[in-house]
Amino acid sequence: MKSVSALISRIRGSEKNGYLFMLPYIIFFCLFIAYPLIFSFVLIFHRWNIVTPMEWIALRNFFRMFQDPLFARAIINTLVFLVLHIPLQIVIALIFAVLLNSAIKFRGLFRSVYFFPVVVSGVVVTILWAQLYNYESGLFNHILTTIGLPAVPWLVDPGFAMPSIAIMATWKNVGLYIVLFLVGLQTIPAYLYEAARIDGASGKDQFLNITLPMLNPTIVVIFILSTIGGFSLFIEPYIMTGGGPMNSTLSAMLYIYNQAFSFNHMGYAAALGFVFALIILSVVMLQRKVLETGDYST
Amino acid sequence: MRRIGIYILLLIGLIGFGYPFVWMISASLKPELEIGSLALWSANFSLKNYELVINRIPVFRALLNSTIVSVSVTISVIFFGSMVGFALAKMRFVGKEILFVVILFTMMIPFQITMIPQYILMVWLGLTDTYLGLIAPYAMTALSIVLFRQFFMSIPQALIDAARVDGCSDLRILFKIVWPLSRPVIITVGILTFMTVWNDVLWPIIIIRERSMMTMPQLVALFVTGGEAEGQLGAMLASATLLALPVIIGYSFFQRYFIDSMATTGLKG
Amino acid sequence: MVFLNESNGLIVKEKIFVIICILFLLSCGAPSDDSRDERTDVIRLTYWPAPNPQEMELADSLVKVWNRNNPHIQVRMQPIPVGQSTEEVLLASIAAGTTPDICSNIWPGALYDFTRAGGLIPFEKFSDFDSVLTSRVPSELLETFRSPDGSVYQIPWKTNPVMMIYNKRILRELGYEEPPRIYSEFIRMGRELAERRENDKRFDVWMGERDIRPIWWQRFFDFLPFYYAASGGKTLFENHTVAFVNEYAEAVIAFFSECYREKVFPRTFSHQQDPFLLERMATNFAGSWQIPTIRRYAPHIEFGVAPVPVPDDHEGPIYTYGDFKNISIFSTTRYPEASWEFVKFLIEADHDLLLLEIANQIPVRGDLLTNPLFTDFFNDNPDMVLFAEQAVYTRSVDEVADIKEILDALSQEYEAAVVYGRRSPAEAIQRAARRAELIIEWNK
Repeated sequence: MKSVSALISRIRGSEKNGYLFMLPYIIFFCLFIAYPLIFSFVLIFHRWNIVTPMEWIALRNFFRMFQDPLFARAIINTLVFLVLHIPLQIVIALIFAVLLNSAIKFRGLFRSVYFFPVVVSGVVVTILWAQLYNYESGLFNHILTTIGLPAVPWLVDPGFAMPSIAIMATWKNVGLYIVLFLVGLQTIPAYLYEAARIDGASGKDQFLNITLPMLNPTIVVIFILSTIGGFSLFIEPYIMTGGGPMNSTLSAMLYIYNQAFSFNHMGYAAALGFVFALIILSVVMLQRKVLETGDYST
Repeated sequence: MRRIGIYILLLIGLIGFGYPFVWMISASLKPELEIGSLALWSANFSLKNYELVINRIPVFRALLNSTIVSVSVTISVIFFGSMVGFALAKMRFVGKEILFVVILFTMMIPFQITMIPQYILMVWLGLTDTYLGLIAPYAMTALSIVLFRQFFMSIPQALIDAARVDGCSDLRILFKIVWPLSRPVIITVGILTFMTVWNDVLWPIIIIRERSMMTMPQLVALFVTGGEAEGQLGAMLASATLLALPVIIGYSFFQRYFIDSMATTGLKG
Repeated sequence: MVFLNESNGLIVKEKIFVIICILFLLSCGAPSDDSRDERTDVIRLTYWPAPNPQEMELADSLVKVWNRNNPHIQVRMQPIPVGQSTEEVLLASIAAGTTPDICSNIWPGALYDFTRAGGLIPFEKFSDFDSVLTSRVPSELLETFRSPDGSVYQIPWKTNPVMMIYNKRILRELGYEEPPRIYSEFIRMGRELAERRENDKRFDVWMGERDIRPIWWQRFFDFLPFYYAASGGKTLFENHTVAFVNEYAEAVIAFFSECYREKVFPRTFSHQQDPFLLERMATNFAGSWQIPTIRRYAPHIEFGVAPVPVPDDHEGPIYTYGDFKNISIFSTTRYPEASWEFVKFLIEADHDLLLLEIANQIPVRGDLLTNPLFTDFFNDNPDMVLFAEQAVYTRSVDEVADIKEILDALSQEYEAAVVYGRRSPAEAIQRAARRAELIIEWNK
């Protein structure tokens, strides 16, 4: 009883304008976050094509999902993408960040050109790379065949298509991570290196024992951002491959999109989205757990 | 010696990241038959491909749509974001902590979950094929609120209390006193929001069907995949160049702000 | 109270301000109603034609004539919002209850959803339906548009038969005056081109090319027309059960796999240059809309039109897939009789001639090549004669649930067997059939 009246008096003592200022967000939250979450939870137990009435089918959407080879395929594809994309991105970003961090001229110029693909629309990048990857007349195969190497079936071979998309995504995003690493590198105090040098540590030792551990927070951020980004992969396969060849680039998002907006299976698509969201959350949690205790110095 | 090695590597990176765009612009100016060649220069440069794109799809309308939507969302996000951020940072009321935790939590909700119900909501509200349908779901973002709150926390409470004593209302304090001190965070939020919305293509593809209402990335994506380009590669690249152009121009003037705002948040919009 | 030291006016102002902000958020305005005319003796109908410029021009001129002659039934022409697809727009408008009275861009594949949602009016309702229709459409063809419940909800209006357009010069240089008619001829010519490519590295002409993306509608230009041709007009379903597990389907898959295996076709995507316009491809499977494109971008190309190739032992007429666009009346209409009058007006012979002249599309009528009304047009446009001849031997897609998803499953099996040779034709067809059955089962 006492605590209730204490609460009431605390509410009395609150700044009313605080609630007023929060009100737009609360309305927004109800409309565009809470309501969709609740409705999506309702939808996953229904079959619905928007036009005819909703039909309760209990867990059938989930039974269907676990028999659906494309659902499994989309998860595997996303994992393939992440496994290729994240290490590639971190290594390349680290290399360029370290290069840029040495005393050089035109650092601003280099940085801003490396960063440029980040700000350009994914649609532009995908249209452009679709041409570079063209088997017959693309720039890459042009270069490969002129130096006497065989042409690579970048997008037309089921084994190459997802790696090709991962390379393109790396090219697009790596500028951001170069900059993040640069920020990280500049926060490493110089005396650490000086002390290491006095102890006779080689450049490699310094990198492994000082640079990498000090950059660990940045690496965690990159891991998590890339994971979330990887699960949202959509426009690249949508434009480039349509999910093929042999469904090797069918991403989770593309599959949900197809189910919802090509086939009008709103219930099934909502169920897919629900399960994918759970997977994303658990993968991110797992990464944080593993990486934040990670130790590179051993 | 080592220095030269560094420069060579950096230069390779420069070509790697820059050349494709130069190639794209050059190819978009070439006649169809010359696109295959590696040369960047052609004696036959012309604007024919651009003419074809402009005649085929409503490019200027789409640029206008994208501008209207991106600007409205950016203003709304800055306005409401700072309002909510201010309340969370500088006001005392019951439930503040819970609300902040809820806002942080919403940052973790993947779009995969909310996409379909949001689309259905738009259908029910009759907001498909409208600007409001493109703007409303993005009108506030948790990220902007968190950024504003964090920044406002650093503003001395004494400043605000002094203004209150002078009889300033909270809104006036926010806009007349706090905002002028908050230029960096406003720029960061503004650039991030503008870029996200300008480059977003999934949501427009879902809710916009009428061509005159399409945003630029959507229009270009459908132009290239939907067969409307009739296999004219030059036209496809010209449409992509038109889509990139506003960003190229904006970036060349404000690149420092672009890079800084993304580096501070670690997000690419 | 905390705010006692503040002037009341300011608090009120702030509240109003915040309320305005909320209103802004909530101003998700309902779509404004079409202002109905005050004059009650005039019936007002809304008509949605396809959104392309030619058909809008046609619709515009037809509506003008109609409105002049029928002061009491006024029709308003409103093109379907252009976008991803007409089906999506129509489904959304059925869901929102904003359908027009009449639409002339109905794709038969979408009919299942429309009728299940109760969106369309059955035409038998009108007493003169039989006599009007049988005078225009061959009854055998009309039967293919009867819905599972026995009613007809769509009037076949126009079609785009998929045919083979070929580059005469390329075939002539190979030593052929005639286009390939059967699979073995097609493959032989393709192999000869492949040999020339091998011998002369600069020569890069292929027999044909298809977008290898596994997108459901891509099958309208390879598997479906070839299957309809091989099977003598059989479609994928019979009595709404899967009916494509047969030697015809296998033959088509086997033919296309050979095309990729023997390097008759390259593996490419369509977001690249159109090789037919660059004269890097000898044949193309397309509808008559391709002809203006060729004339526009590559007027120097000497091309011919022929039916799609058939298995070597094929006999009888050669059917093909046709992209039908049909007319339907929506059940939201308040004036079904008046709408029917307008529909009859749309399909009059004179107006079919306009459809040919203005939109360059083939009306679905049996007397196209016999009625003297059309003679002049076909004399002036000899390319169109073949498409007109083909039109009668044209089939659409079946009206079954989730036809898009079924075609999508078929596309994936096609891709695996044809483009990548990962399955035998029989295996691919059986898997596609099983997946189609599962999709149908899911809908029950």
